[in-house]
Amino acid sequence: MKSITKKLELLAPAGSFESLMAAIQAGADSVYFGIEQLNMRTRSSSNFTVEDLQQVTALCRQHSVKTYLTLNTIIYDHDISMMKKIVDAARENGVDAVIASDIAVLHYAAKTGVKVHISTQANVTNIDAVEFFAAYADVMVLSRELTLMQVSALAKEIKRRRIKGPSGHNVRLEVFGHGALCMAVSGKCYLSLHSDFASANRGACVQNCRRTYIVTDKESGAELEVDNEYIMSAKDLCTIDFLDKIVEAGVSVLKIEGRGRSADYVFTTTKCYREAIEAVNDGTFSTEKVADWKSRLSTVYNRGFWDGYYLGRTMGEWTNDYGSKATKKKIFLGKGLKYFETAKVGEFLLETQSLRIGDDILITGPTTGVIQHTISALRVNDQEAESVQKGESFTMALEEKIRPSDKLYKIVDAQ
Amino acid sequence: MIRITQQRAKCIGCHACVDAAPHRWRVSRKDGKCTLIGSKEKKGWHIALVDEEEWPANLIAEKNCPVKIIRVEKV
Repeated sequence: MKSITKKLELLAPAGSFESLMAAIQAGADSVYFGIEQLNMRTRSSSNFTVEDLQQVTALCRQHSVKTYLTLNTIIYDHDISMMKKIVDAARENGVDAVIASDIAVLHYAAKTGVKVHISTQANVTNIDAVEFFAAYADVMVLSRELTLMQVSALAKEIKRRRIKGPSGHNVRLEVFGHGALCMAVSGKCYLSLHSDFASANRGACVQNCRRTYIVTDKESGAELEVDNEYIMSAKDLCTIDFLDKIVEAGVSVLKIEGRGRSADYVFTTTKCYREAIEAVNDGTFSTEKVADWKSRLSTVYNRGFWDGYYLGRTMGEWTNDYGSKATKKKIFLGKGLKYFETAKVGEFLLETQSLRIGDDILITGPTTGVIQHTISALRVNDQEAESVQKGESFTMALEEKIRPSDKLYKIVDAQ
Repeated sequence: MIRITQQRAKCIGCHACVDAAPHRWRVSRKDGKCTLIGSKEKKGWHIALVDEEEWPANLIAEKNCPVKIIRVEKV
């Protein structure tokens, strides 16, 4: 396969310090996150605070990872002072860009010298919209319903018209590459607002689309359950098998959705896409590798995969299950106690369940991020052991440092 | 009397309570979250004891709160 030299930027979600570290460890070029409210995961993600921002940006700078702050809900008059506070905090802490859709945010960011990326909430679907937003932003996150042909046409037209952002460089295009998709055209869903007064466009979506429904015949009152299909619940987007085509289409940034997801989800998805991007770059992208990545992506939260609208589908593909179809699940076991640096040994307390040699484990923590490990040896009371039981503390050899804030899980088959 | 409680940390500043009972709620310019006027904070819960005439409006505030952090009860 021909090698492609233009590098795709991999943008990963960070809904917590655990996920942030996981994204960094797995090789993200950049991360996006929300602070306080006014972002599209106000309800489902824990979100950072204004006070956390300094630590987040310092950590990312240390690892040469760019930071993008989501500030992309609808903004009302009563939000203006908070919006300005968040933009000011972004500037003071050296955030690389704010992801925005409301014109009030674009306007204030431009006035105060903060870079902006146009959110998918703005539904950029045509070249004139790109040209309009270029006055404010160097990066546009395109609407998720475009085909790759449309994306490619936009990229070519940006070059032809030399559409430049505030930096003086050609505008760059970003697309969603992996994760949950909305049943409505991005950012245009009002179901949650109608049912629960909880606006999805203010980050408070209650996910009505993920449930089952009954159709009632108004004449007879007969009820028909819509069986075997969650008629509004889209499968999750996965583009890893045609990532080469995404690069060829002229996309510059690939975003992984999932600020509401766990650290191991962020780690696995980011790592798979990191490897895939490298494979596209060095010309080793192959069907065998795709099969391996897809198998690994299936181990973490997913509603089944489909290719979204990129390859020309006109209708969404719906899941036939509630929740995740992940092939693996994690079982909480206990917590970290101590790390012996010289011996490279970690000590843990098993608070529940049991653990034995050969088990796959997962360790997550706000500083540790994610460690995946298969147990080859265990020690209880300084004696070699085959297994550990609930209530016992034990040690095992670990290359990476663990901490008392870390949680320990066992990874098992989901079935 | 009625007792209104709000778990303020979880507020998303949507303004629904202010729309329902504007004399009892306002949006803070400091953090963009809704503030229960006349309340005292106790372990994260903001509590106000008010006259019964405020019952209907604050009941709507409770019902419309998208993150269900407001509770109104007669005491």
